[in-house]
Amino acid sequence: MGKFWSILFLCVTFFGVGTFMFGAATGVWLPENVGSETAYSIDHLFKFILVLTGIVFIGTEVTLFYFLWRYDGKTNQQPAKFSHGSHTLEICWTIVPAATLLFIAIYQLNTWAAAKMRTPMANGYDMAPTVEVTGRQFEWRLRYPGDDGILGTKDDLFDVNDLHVPVGEEVLVSLKSMDVLHGFYLPNLRVKQDAVPGMKIPVWFRPMKEGEYDIPCSQLCGWGHYKMTGRLVVESRAAYEKYLADLKVRQNSVVPPWAAQQAAESIPAQGTPEQTASAESGATSAGTSSNNTTSSLANTNR
Amino acid sequence: MIVFCKRPLCSWLIGSAICLLLTFAPGCDQSPPPRFHANLVQMDNPDNNVSPKHQQQIADILLAMYGTPDDPFVLPETGLDLQKIKVAAGPVKGYTQGLFRLHCVHCHGISGDGMGPTALFLKPYPRDYREGWFKFKSTPSKMPPTHDDLVRTLQEGISGTAMPSFKLLSQSEIEALVEYVEYLSMRGQTELELINQYKLADAFDPDKEDFPTTREFLVNTVLLGPNGPATLWKETASQVTAVPQPPSDFRTAASVEAGRQVFYNKGGCVKCHGPTALGDGQMVWDMWNESIHKLDQKVADSSEPAKLADLTAALRVDALPPRESEPRNLRQGIYRGGRQPYELFYRLYNGIFPSQMPGIGSTPGMTTDDIWHLVDFILDLPYQPGSQYHSDEHMKAPPRELL
Repeated sequence: MGKFWSILFLCVTFFGVGTFMFGAATGVWLPENVGSETAYSIDHLFKFILVLTGIVFIGTEVTLFYFLWRYDGKTNQQPAKFSHGSHTLEICWTIVPAATLLFIAIYQLNTWAAAKMRTPMANGYDMAPTVEVTGRQFEWRLRYPGDDGILGTKDDLFDVNDLHVPVGEEVLVSLKSMDVLHGFYLPNLRVKQDAVPGMKIPVWFRPMKEGEYDIPCSQLCGWGHYKMTGRLVVESRAAYEKYLADLKVRQNSVVPPWAAQQAAESIPAQGTPEQTASAESGATSAGTSSNNTTSSLANTNR
Repeated sequence: MIVFCKRPLCSWLIGSAICLLLTFAPGCDQSPPPRFHANLVQMDNPDNNVSPKHQQQIADILLAMYGTPDDPFVLPETGLDLQKIKVAAGPVKGYTQGLFRLHCVHCHGISGDGMGPTALFLKPYPRDYREGWFKFKSTPSKMPPTHDDLVRTLQEGISGTAMPSFKLLSQSEIEALVEYVEYLSMRGQTELELINQYKLADAFDPDKEDFPTTREFLVNTVLLGPNGPATLWKETASQVTAVPQPPSDFRTAASVEAGRQVFYNKGGCVKCHGPTALGDGQMVWDMWNESIHKLDQKVADSSEPAKLADLTAALRVDALPPRESEPRNLRQGIYRGGRQPYELFYRLYNGIFPSQMPGIGSTPGMTTDDIWHLVDFILDLPYQPGSQYHSDEHMKAPPRELL
């Protein structure tokens, strides 16, 4: 019975190590990292600490197994020996872990500072925010600064859950919350920051690869927390500018989208296909040109 | 450790067996399938006073015409797409089936009555679809919204309320959900129309007869009658309010000033939105609670208040505590129906009927240019000094030395 328990404890070691080996073999590992140096150094720290704690884990578990096996009550008939403790041993097992922890603490200082303390600069000044993200139950509301580059002015652009950023450039997010704690989590950029009601927290990252990624919420915020996910779209600068331009047109739209469609559809189909095609394209261009006129009026009269 | 017999293995086996037994003894009982709830506030309302026998008949008719939450059905005259409704209806299976229960039911309720389990904690309450009244749409007063209006609401959400944005759902999922909302709304409206027929006593004599169950009555009189649900929903597309061109000085300071004049004078906005547009003017009840408010007034005016009060108390059990319509604080920059200028135009022109916001489109002496100026004023309000919006002050730190 006793030996059975010691084997059981040894299994913990095997399963623990085995899980990681299985993960490494089948590619079940961290999410794709599309960030910059800070993101990679976070990954490096993760692996370093994993290896370090892994060694300690195997060591302690094997020792535990050994003692359970060697001194099992059924097979070991020797009487118990009592010791008054070993001062040397106690010093050893205090100093060595303390030194290890101190080492880890110092080793990670630079990465922490880069990720959380050194706000990005542009031209000698603090960089202006690229976007203001406000967490709300259960979505991410976005506010872009618009043409003037200043948040809080009349030309700000609003969207929900669909955060676009340019690739290869530093992005500064001004993180707020409208109601309760939320967690702004970009797994692919190794960014995680709680959105605290009443605070405006700067979060920065540099995405290096185009694509669509998730923005899950990493802090329990209510019944909908499990499905609170936004979408991060990393795209070229040109596509990003186009997205903002489209957003601006949509936001200043004085023509409902279905009205433009109706204008195109209301031309009756008559005569030859060529005539119909030209009539339809005429209607569409009339629709869009009126749109353009309105938005250009809106631009010039600002 | 519990010892059942001397040998440890024996103990282990017996212990495990007992644990397994206790785990599975309660059984794998599944809860019964959900059912639609009757609109008791209207059925038991002293104005209508539908007899229990006829209440049961209404329930049976609705079961035949619309099916159950797990197994929906629609008549072709409703114009609804049953395939899409089936995707949204029924129990949740992964993320592709049972979409309404996956995303909507906890607020909007299984019958679309706005009384789901979380509804009580929300301000404002979730929408009650059963009257077919929606706030943010492109059609006049009591008309239902268009399909596009509902798609827009799902995609953008309603900022400032608990209605989230479902922009990240696929187009087909949104279409299925919108179809299901229309289904629940039509079902609720059919119920009300049946109660109306009971009251009118035109097509049959309720004292002596049961509800007719002929196709003639159910389809032609109820569904396709002049105020029938199918008629109303079919007409919405043709009743969309036309949005005229804005004036040439739209989006200028002069336009904002003209809008301010409209706000304080002929728009009549100050009465509810307050002299500083903070929403601190008068409040009125919202139309979804009209029955209960009218009953409260009746109770107050009647000679036997106690007796009627019992009845209204019984009705209130089937309703959320009634709230008044709060006029919007216009300085917050939160536009529930959307911040695009044409959306604001719709709100002003048509008003928001169920919240008792009057539309100024038909006010004598009001031109559409005036309404556009007012739109400009409302879009500008949150940026005026008195609206307390602070720009990102802490982000503009003074320049510091480069190390």
